[in-house]
Amino acid sequence: MNKELLKGNIAIAKAALNCGCNCYFGYPITPQTEIGEYLSKQMPANKLAYVCAESEIAAINMALGAASTGAKVMTSSSSCAVSLMQEAISYASSDELPIVIVNVMRAGPGQGYIFPSQGDYNQATIGGGNGDYKTIVLSPSSVQECIDLTYRAFYLAQKYRTPVILLADGLLGQMAEAAELTENPYPEIDNSNWRLDGAKNRPSREIHSLEPDQNKLNRHIVKLYQKYSAIEQNECDYEEYKTQDAEVIITAFGTMARYAKALCNHYRNKGVKIGLFRPKTLYPFPYKRLNELSQKAKIVIDIEMNMGQMLKDVRLAVLSNAQVAFIGKPVGDWLREEEMINAANNILKERYASI
Amino acid sequence: MQVFSVPKSIKQNSNFTFCSGCDHGVAIKLVAQTIDELNLQDETIAIASSGCSVLLYDFLDVDCLEAPHGRACAVATGVKRAHKAMGNNKFVFTYQGDGDFASIGLAESMHSALRGENITAICINNTNYGMTGGQLGPTTALGQITTTSPKGRNIEYHGFPIKTAEQIALCDGVSYSARVALYDIKNIINAKNSIKKAFEYQKKGLGFSFVEILSSCPTNWKLSPKKSHEKIKNELTNIYPLGVFKDINND
Repeated sequence: MNKELLKGNIAIAKAALNCGCNCYFGYPITPQTEIGEYLSKQMPANKLAYVCAESEIAAINMALGAASTGAKVMTSSSSCAVSLMQEAISYASSDELPIVIVNVMRAGPGQGYIFPSQGDYNQATIGGGNGDYKTIVLSPSSVQECIDLTYRAFYLAQKYRTPVILLADGLLGQMAEAAELTENPYPEIDNSNWRLDGAKNRPSREIHSLEPDQNKLNRHIVKLYQKYSAIEQNECDYEEYKTQDAEVIITAFGTMARYAKALCNHYRNKGVKIGLFRPKTLYPFPYKRLNELSQKAKIVIDIEMNMGQMLKDVRLAVLSNAQVAFIGKPVGDWLREEEMINAANNILKERYASI
Repeated sequence: MQVFSVPKSIKQNSNFTFCSGCDHGVAIKLVAQTIDELNLQDETIAIASSGCSVLLYDFLDVDCLEAPHGRACAVATGVKRAHKAMGNNKFVFTYQGDGDFASIGLAESMHSALRGENITAICINNTNYGMTGGQLGPTTALGQITTTSPKGRNIEYHGFPIKTAEQIALCDGVSYSARVALYDIKNIINAKNSIKKAFEYQKKGLGFSFVEILSSCPTNWKLSPKKSHEKIKNELTNIYPLGVFKDINND
């Protein structure tokens, strides 16, 4: 295969088709609309399920229904409209239904605007729906990762029978760079023991979140949390950049981490032992590895395009091992190298006279 | 000699948990009989909703999926389309109350009808929110007393109720839309025929089919089962006339 110039949104759509997505339901919202537009050409031509839903509420509920059949299901949206999907994500988590939900984040709160932001970290990782549940959240940082993590999102959704959020942002969705549409590396997961396809030669099945018996409901939620424990054990994923001897660790996710790498290079040239830790899974958050790194570090600087949402997870990982500082800006043009350097100089100048 | 027995598509040893005199039990039995007669049991996915209809899967012996409140038609759309994408033609129907179908879920219901989604929706209209104890709903009649309209529904505060079967009949994607009742044997037979026609139209791929069933709610109406049926016969059918509002084969 060869690399091609691909937009993030198109890369997500192509990867979804490439790993067998056969159902897409969506409603337009900038900056992710190209995903639905691209699939509207490809899916009906191949007799796959594609519905221009009347709302994001309808789209996610169509996805919930489709997921119950064992199909590979995706919906995509952005921030304020992903808010509309939270009820059904809670249902799908309890129902144990695999759905891939793409959130190409824009600015909030409320309608905000179409410029990029990372303001939905909390909604995605903590969950905006009711009750005890968790959602796997994958965070791409490049168009190549839009492909790789879309494959992974479908795989993890099927493997754990749970909704998975691919948390991209408007910059990544709209940006084109060279990427390779690789083959889907993951195996198919058998779903014949739970899917709803008519009770032929087997007892009828029921999928529901309602449970009037409190003992049964308690057992069900404990079972869900055993699954989440396995996910936390097995699926933490991260990237490290020059962390081996790092006294200063930058933490950043998604597109922001690309800018943070430039910051690392700037300070390395000035003799500061600095590195980047980038979680690729926001849930499960790689607490353990960040904790290990922080034991050798003096300062951890978290950089986000929001007011400090991942910061609380960084603090939980670092504990009192190192000083934790934050550089952020909520929305719009991303923090420029000079802005980050100015902010970081203020944090680092006491320890590093050389800067 | 005619032998009456529990339909095959009703779970053995299941007991209806509805209030005494409630028509839900009759409606579910009619649905089960029709599934049996059309031999649909092993190809059906039923979509349960929120409200008194929620426990459908406790009674019906077919694959069942619960929808969030109001979203049954969207969920059914997903089930039907996903199976179609995988080369399967499954039978998919929703079983909803009037609050679920025509209030919180009106957008999903009507857009499924407009798209001509090849599914069937059964809507139990008992003119109030039954499960929560009888509050004003989209179908509560003018003047009707509920726990949230203690002086009766009035236009100034509550506006007008919806005539669901007539509204759905206006959607171009609809193959069949009817309103039936269950207050006597003749009407029960009519209701069964309507459900059967709605199911057959889906099997023939004719588009969205819909049956609204005027049903009693003795507990919340604070009437005996007998008086509840009289109320449907003498009052509600004047507001919500029985009949077929669209039949693609007659139009």
